[in-house]
Amino acid sequence: MHIRSLSLRQFRTYNRLELDLPASPVLLLGANAQGKTSLLEAIAYLAVGRSPLTNTDQHLIHWRAVESAMPFAHLKTEVIHRNHADLIEIALEQKTLANGGTRLEKQIKLNQHTIRQMDLAGHLNVVVFLPEDVELVSGAPSGRRRFLDDLLSQVYPAYVESLGEYQTALSRRNALLRHLRDFGGDAAQLAPLEETLVQTGVTLSLYRRRVVKALAFYADRLHHDLTGGAAWLQIQYQPNFDPLRPPAVDYQIGLLPETESESPVDLDTLYEAYRKTLHAQRRIEIDRGMTLTGPHRDELRFISDGVDMGTFGSRGQQRTVVLALRLAELRWLEQETRESPVLLLDEVLAELDRARRTYLLNLLGNVEQTILCTTDVEMFPESFREKTLLLEVAEGIIRRK
Amino acid sequence: MYTAALPASVVELTETLSALPGIGPKTASRLAFFLLRGKSELALRLAEALKGLVERTRFCSICYNVTEADPCPICTNPARNQRMVCVVEEPLDLLALERTDQYHGVYHVLHGALSPMEGVFAEDLRINELEARIRRGDVEEVILATNPTSEGDYTAAYLLQRLKPLGVRITRLGRGLPMGGDLEYADAVTLMRALESRQEL
Ligand SMILES: [Zn+2]
Repeated sequence: MHIRSLSLRQFRTYNRLELDLPASPVLLLGANAQGKTSLLEAIAYLAVGRSPLTNTDQHLIHWRAVESAMPFAHLKTEVIHRNHADLIEIALEQKTLANGGTRLEKQIKLNQHTIRQMDLAGHLNVVVFLPEDVELVSGAPSGRRRFLDDLLSQVYPAYVESLGEYQTALSRRNALLRHLRDFGGDAAQLAPLEETLVQTGVTLSLYRRRVVKALAFYADRLHHDLTGGAAWLQIQYQPNFDPLRPPAVDYQIGLLPETESESPVDLDTLYEAYRKTLHAQRRIEIDRGMTLTGPHRDELRFISDGVDMGTFGSRGQQRTVVLALRLAELRWLEQETRESPVLLLDEVLAELDRARRTYLLNLLGNVEQTILCTTDVEMFPESFREKTLLLEVAEGIIRRK
Repeated sequence: MYTAALPASVVELTETLSALPGIGPKTASRLAFFLLRGKSELALRLAEALKGLVERTRFCSICYNVTEADPCPICTNPARNQRMVCVVEEPLDLLALERTDQYHGVYHVLHGALSPMEGVFAEDLRINELEARIRRGDVEEVILATNPTSEGDYTAAYLLQRLKPLGVRITRLGRGLPMGGDLEYADAVTLMRALESRQEL
């Protein structure tokens, strides 16, 4: 798939933008803070209804619009698939309430019909690669869970739905646990919430297990290539609750290569095991005032040559892992949706050495549309620039170069 | 604010009005001045109505609906099926069901739905009273008519688990009500169908 046109009103630094794009690489050129990253953000936002850079949608509205009487932002894109086209629109409008507060209204449309956010899945798939992505490997586990959530949400509406229900039930259960601890009450109120956690949590866990298995397969080969044949990469999904396996041993460094148990287990057995665990944990969790078991505490680890890259990898090694991971994501999306996703690369070339840069640029030949940002056009070889649309970005205005 | 320029009685009214849900300070002062400028009967009629609300109404000791006579006219109506109890969140939901003209049982008003994040727990709702009512043995069927929202579903699931052991027939309003909406806003035809298609849990 590729983006044929993009239109932005009052989005970040863009007051008004109308852009037509080709089904080939596009290179956005400009100094920092001119709007290059915002353009990639806009495309990613249209894909999933969520920004890769902020959780506060208010921040997406142009600062000058925020000061106006009726602040709004509008994003629109036309996506070309093999046999059809999709028109995706998102409108944000900040309403002032009677009590002086504000509320953000968000409307998502697909081909001019209002849809729920979860129904965006599959209409525009993107792989976003940002310089700060190295945090995926080195940072907190929540970032890795979000990575899995964002990827699966692009493809499966059922995943988005389960994730939303899981998070609501989790917040409710935690609030109830604290209430039971501080004031007492009927602990049976926990049961319906636990049932939701069980049903949706098993769904999340199964999807995650499946996607990590596929990503691990692709990333291993890519990592091997990226390191000139020097190192393989293992990606391990470590579910916090895993009825398929005995409780995880907390490894230090030298991780044992685990053998995946493939014994088919039926859903009812999974539900029952999870239900029992939550029930058995109640007393401890009431004391702690929080739910300690479930996919909200899953972990994902990257191991190369027996070393956990998150803890012991150098910055350079971590960058290579992230590159392999993003490219694996691209492969997985291609495989799963039978279409090429749009690849969005922000300044990542600057951090790679010549060999890895060449490897990456060669791979782009197989991607239908890649949009790259750079401050330095010299980083791209002449042969690449010839096939590429060059656009200059300055103060939220884009010109063909 | 600029309260120094206003008589204390106006300030008092404005502040009281703005404590109501959905009324901000601006609307409150607009309402206050409307009452002030308008014919004095309106303000006095409002005052009487408010006084009546506080002095004459109470909750029915059987169903907890708002009433002037206890037990309420529904609970004492011999033409209604006193063994069929429809459980609703709010008195307004009860009114919506009454508008269908098709329901001839009685009610039980919970006065809310379970919502731990907003600090509403089982002990804050009229659930013990519902259980006691069923234990007295005069109920055959309980229709769970909490709203088709996430809180309403949670409340219904909790009630089911708590009331099932009492051996009473428990049903839930049929689907077809718009998910996320309130009963209060559903039209009579939709509500009637939801009642007719209620399912045993
Ligand atoms: Zn009554």
